[in-house]
Amino acid sequence: MSSLEAQVAAYLAHRMPEAVGIVVDELGRIYGGSSQETFRFHATWKEGEISIDRRLILRRDATAGLVVAERDLEYNVYRALAGQGLPIPGVYFLELDAKWLDRPFFIMDMCPGKPGSPFVLTDPYDGHGTAIGEQYWSILGMLAAIDYKAVGLESLRNGAAPSGYWALELDRWEAILDENEALIEPAVRGAMRWLRRNPPPEPAKASIVHGDYRSGNFLFTEDGNISAILDWEMCHIGDPLEDVAWGLDPFWPITRHYPLDEGLARWEAASGIAIDRAALDWWLLFTAVKACVIWTTAASGFASGKNREMTMALSGIRAGHFHRDLILKMMRTRGAMG
Amino acid sequence: MTDKGMSPKSLSPENLSPGNLSIDNALHGLEEFLRDRIAPAIEDPYVSPMARLSAMVLRICANSVDDAAELRVEENAAIRAILGEAAPLLPASIAGQYHDAATSRDPGLKISILDAENHRLRVLLVTAQAVLEDGIGPAAKALDQRIWQLLETVEAKRAPRD
Repeated sequence: MSSLEAQVAAYLAHRMPEAVGIVVDELGRIYGGSSQETFRFHATWKEGEISIDRRLILRRDATAGLVVAERDLEYNVYRALAGQGLPIPGVYFLELDAKWLDRPFFIMDMCPGKPGSPFVLTDPYDGHGTAIGEQYWSILGMLAAIDYKAVGLESLRNGAAPSGYWALELDRWEAILDENEALIEPAVRGAMRWLRRNPPPEPAKASIVHGDYRSGNFLFTEDGNISAILDWEMCHIGDPLEDVAWGLDPFWPITRHYPLDEGLARWEAASGIAIDRAALDWWLLFTAVKACVIWTTAASGFASGKNREMTMALSGIRAGHFHRDLILKMMRTRGAMG
Repeated sequence: MTDKGMSPKSLSPENLSPGNLSIDNALHGLEEFLRDRIAPAIEDPYVSPMARLSAMVLRICANSVDDAAELRVEENAAIRAILGEAAPLLPASIAGQYHDAATSRDPGLKISILDAENHRLRVLLVTAQAVLEDGIGPAAKALDQRIWQLLETVEAKRAPRD
């Protein structure tokens, strides 16, 4: 066993005192995602006469991530949403004590399937784009339909707010931008002012917002089924159109695989919420602003030396430009340039 | 050394010898070695793609070296010009600051110094635009639109060059 495998085995022994002969092997870091470090591993042990053989995922806090994540948030969301009909992994142990693996982490099931990268020119869904698109919108609609209080998620950010979700989110992202921006970007600041001057209507229903629901953040199997929605670090309570808009962003557009109108109709059917297209337009600009803040955070994390993942640098440079350029295009359509 | 070798024409950038090991040239060499030799030799499924991404970042950096100072000097000048136009449209309490900024000069040519000056001017630009947006009248509106147009130009010039 490698050093990390031995550490994980020791932790499992601590959490499962009834387990005998725990062996951890095949541990390897999974490429992709910079909010948390993700490792896959294989574990075997015996409980009485029963031999257990599991493939698991370990999610550990990054030293500095793409997003500002509350360390136990993702684990708690997975726990709360279990049994709600959404494809999500089962979770087992949350560990906040850094003595085990240097930083907090949690352990969950490794789900079958693979992610489809939105950043490749080839078909990321192996010919299953239509089926994936249908499920993508239906699952997101199901999420919006869930009563967040009934599943115990009112403790999420904004969970106690009666209204004004757009302002709460905009305030949050502006504060993160203030904290991380080395070179002020007038286009982003201008778009933020526009969003404040032109607020969207209150949502028909406050919902669980995944926060990063898009191509690349779910797994699909060979037969074209979405097997797991992942990366819930930015989950909060808010306007469900935030998630709808996020997935439509041209950096990772689901519309590449499934027509917009059909997708929105599927979402409406699953959520029971009618989409206000003007409000959706507001959230599309918000999406570009939020993305810019995330890329700024990535650049800041890399520049400070806290996280030298190349994804962080490339996001800061390339993705940052993409979304500032997108903001400018959107502001042009809003008449900002005359 | 011949007279021809000392002529002004031969000293112009376009006649610089391709054998000059400039910073961008060296970075491109590193990028190619990382991409073509090192990355393919790495078996680790996490480190290998990171090496390829490193090469991409290196290429973007290499492509931004040569005109980095020129780009910033021109951008700062363009922002100063707009700030000068904004000054008469702003409240008297801050107008003087904008007159001063409009006539200021870059304090040096190091990229770090130009970036710091760029940030200072951009902060003033953001403040001015916020005031103009709240203003009434065609002059304020026209200048607000010109600021947005300038931001388009700035973003286009700063686009990463793959």
